Amino acid sequence: VQPPEKPLQAEEWNRLRENFQSPEIFEDVMFNSMVRCNSPIDVAKSLLTYVAKSDGDIRYNLLIKYLALCVQQQKTAEICDVYDIMKMRFKILESGAYNLLIRGLSNSDQWRMALTLLEEVKKIMTPSRTNYESCIKAASHHQEMNLACELYHEMLAKDLVPTLDVLQAFFDFSRGMKDAELKKELFGILLYLRENQIYPHRTFMRSIKLWFESIPGENWRGHLTNIKDSGQCPVCSHQLEDSDLTEKEYNNLRERIITDVIHGSDTFRKTSPQEFEAFQTFVEDRLPFDIVIDGLNVSHIKPRKMQCENLFHAVNCLAKENLRLLVLGRKHMLINSSNWKQEIMKEMQNKADFFFAENISEDDAFLLYATLRSGKHCKFVTRDFLRDHKACLSDSLTRHLFRKWQRGHQISIKMIFSVFIQQPAFNYDCVVQTTGDTWHIPYKDTFEERYSYEVPRKWLCLKQK
Amino acid sequence: MQSANMLLKNFVRCSAFPFAVQHGMKKDLFGLCRTLILSPCLKEGSSHNLSEKLDLDEWKKVMKSGLQEVNETVSEHEELSTLAAARETVEMWRLAGRSVPENISEDQLKTFIECPSKSSKKKYLKYLHLKELYKKNDKRKMDEKRERRLETQDKASKTDEIKRNSFTCLWANAIDKTHNWRAAQAMVFGQPLVFDMSFENDMSPREVTNTVRQIVLSEGCNRKSVDPFHIHFCNLKENSQYHREFIKYYREAWDKLLITVTDQCYTNVFPKDKIIYLTADSPKVMKTFDHDKIYIIGSMVDRSIKTGVSLAQAKRLGLETACLPLEKYLLWNTGAKNLTLDQMMHILLTLKDTGDWRKALEFVPKRKYCGFVGRSVHELKKSLSLMNTLKHGKRQEEVRKQFAKNYSKKLTQK
Repeated sequence: VQPPEKPLQAEEWNRLRENFQSPEIFEDVMFNSMVRCNSPIDVAKSLLTYVAKSDGDIRYNLLIKYLALCVQQQKTAEICDVYDIMKMRFKILESGAYNLLIRGLSNSDQWRMALTLLEEVKKIMTPSRTNYESCIKAASHHQEMNLACELYHEMLAKDLVPTLDVLQAFFDFSRGMKDAELKKELFGILLYLRENQIYPHRTFMRSIKLWFESIPGENWRGHLTNIKDSGQCPVCSHQLEDSDLTEKEYNNLRERIITDVIHGSDTFRKTSPQEFEAFQTFVEDRLPFDIVIDGLNVSHIKPRKMQCENLFHAVNCLAKENLRLLVLGRKHMLINSSNWKQEIMKEMQNKADFFFAENISEDDAFLLYATLRSGKHCKFVTRDFLRDHKACLSDSLTRHLFRKWQRGHQISIKMIFSVFIQQPAFNYDCVVQTTGDTWHIPYKDTFEERYSYEVPRKWLCLKQK
Repeated sequence: MQSANMLLKNFVRCSAFPFAVQHGMKKDLFGLCRTLILSPCLKEGSSHNLSEKLDLDEWKKVMKSGLQEVNETVSEHEELSTLAAARETVEMWRLAGRSVPENISEDQLKTFIECPSKSSKKKYLKYLHLKELYKKNDKRKMDEKRERRLETQDKASKTDEIKRNSFTCLWANAIDKTHNWRAAQAMVFGQPLVFDMSFENDMSPREVTNTVRQIVLSEGCNRKSVDPFHIHFCNLKENSQYHREFIKYYREAWDKLLITVTDQCYTNVFPKDKIIYLTADSPKVMKTFDHDKIYIIGSMVDRSIKTGVSLAQAKRLGLETACLPLEKYLLWNTGAKNLTLDQMMHILLTLKDTGDWRKALEFVPKRKYCGFVGRSVHELKKSLSLMNTLKHGKRQEEVRKQFAKNYSKKLTQK
């Protein structure tokens, strides 16, 4: 239905309603389309008046829809009125109404009321992150940075993930302020980005840059740049942090891979205790390896070729550099078949160590274990993204560690014109980083990054002169 | 007339604000008279010509007016207990038009409060809402049926016809007896079929309920079959969740059930080399139904993704495993290859009676496969892949559109 353009009299509404195919939902449908078409508020009011007069009451969901319309058009006085009416009528309101009220009021000069509403929400449930977003934005918009920070910390304490908009608001509104506390807060936000491996988008990056350059008396200069594969910043020729984990992180990750990925809730799901023990002794005897290869994954690279030929090709290429190789496979590879020729398998076993797992075991878990056990220099070859193994890790911190380690140690392979090309693992770590007088911040050029495993190649280099 | 009635109602409600009422009444009556005269004009949308201006904020007065008495009751108990507050929240959600049950019991409210996240709360309420809806519909249908029955009875009594029949009407009872007789025979001579009840820790309470329901269904269809299995519930601990759920379903019939229940493992009851564990994760495909083997079904409903739990169990005990030859006989379309327990029961019973895979696999839900593998395999495969490409192509398009829509929405919100 098309909402009318002008307020209607009761009898006109009545006529419209009677002509409507299902009169009992007429008001709901009409209000929905008013919100969609952004109709003038007077039209909605006239419909409410009609409903109030014919029923003597207005249902809650109609009030909410009217409220949505008011919020959409920033009618602050109306929003307050509706709130008063709701407050009188109902003991408590539900989250939908609060969301609308907070959103509507935080954009107006009545923004302090949004804060009291937030307090009210807290009494009955945890406010959503958009609730906090509205309030924080309102507070920082009115230069109440302390209040904004307080809300921000409260939000983090409730395990809510702040939107990038909120973080950006902090940088936008504290431009040019000289306040040591606030500066610490903003550095804290940058560290939050670092810890959670969040990359700001282009506009957010611009806000960060402008804020840095606006700090009075500190003389920051920002440049946009691409970092070379070597990990050196072309602007300030500073060497970025390498992607190695610290000793503690590394050990932690290894422990967690064993407990969460290999054993999990039940060791028998991926392997068996006997097999894992056999594998452990096998690895301990032959340590350390330079490269661990997922045999089955590599053997499927070229579907036209025989599987063992693919593997043979890869092993040959890597063996030329005198690296110690470990190839993981399954027992079925040892049975002569059209895909697995035993002569070739024998030849390969001269060049690399092989471990064959049971046919129903998961070889990926062994791949991770062997690589981590061999030490930091060891890399692994597979096309697999290992997402399911990452998902087995129980907390997000370890998952981040896993991702970081994977970025630095996974060699992905592409076969172009039958030449075996290695894509080197990143030498530097792609996170927000600082040395005190420099900051390097990776950012996403477009709003959406297509894949989560892709890391941005563009950087913001900030330097103090 | 109707609007006059409404007015009367308003009048009663609004007595606290005589002015507003007078105002409204005057206008309304005026309007009522005029519609008769002015209706042709109105169609042209010339509401501006009306001499009287609309009072747009009148609804507020109406809303505020009926409130005096409500307001006082609110202030009486300001501090609500958590339970009452939750009930209040649910009620408000219902008013806002969300899928929320009308009536909610104390226990359900407690479960609702204990839900760890907002989405789980919403899901739980929706579940209750649907449950309530089904119950209501069933009740309505029952009532209609009863009415119809009463009507036909009335007619029958009017015609007053006496039926002659050589059997006394004891059908249900007699059938029960034969079923039980057969089940009792199976207890002595029948082939064992084991339900493995050791997955309680891998399931949520709701999954356990579903599992038990499926087992109850399987037990029912086993009893009704010509040559039933001798059902064993192994690893069933006293007072476990399974046990409690079973008692809920069977009540006092639980002790009279013609099945074997034990807290022992099947490996202690049967020789290991005769056992075959049925699991969809098994690398081995079942070729024929062996009447000498003891088949084990894992009593587990897996709504999340927990692959290889029952395979792990079989591995641990060193048992032989097998899966149904679904790929071999069916052109699989969508859905997981794990079937419900009652479907498994139907399939195994049919296999036992006939040995015909086609007949047995009729019990696989139709939505999961496109057809039986046969002469026109190629045609089927072609159409399947075509369908899939179309579907996926379309879906990708949809996803892209959806994203673009959301994205622009987000931009406009700023």
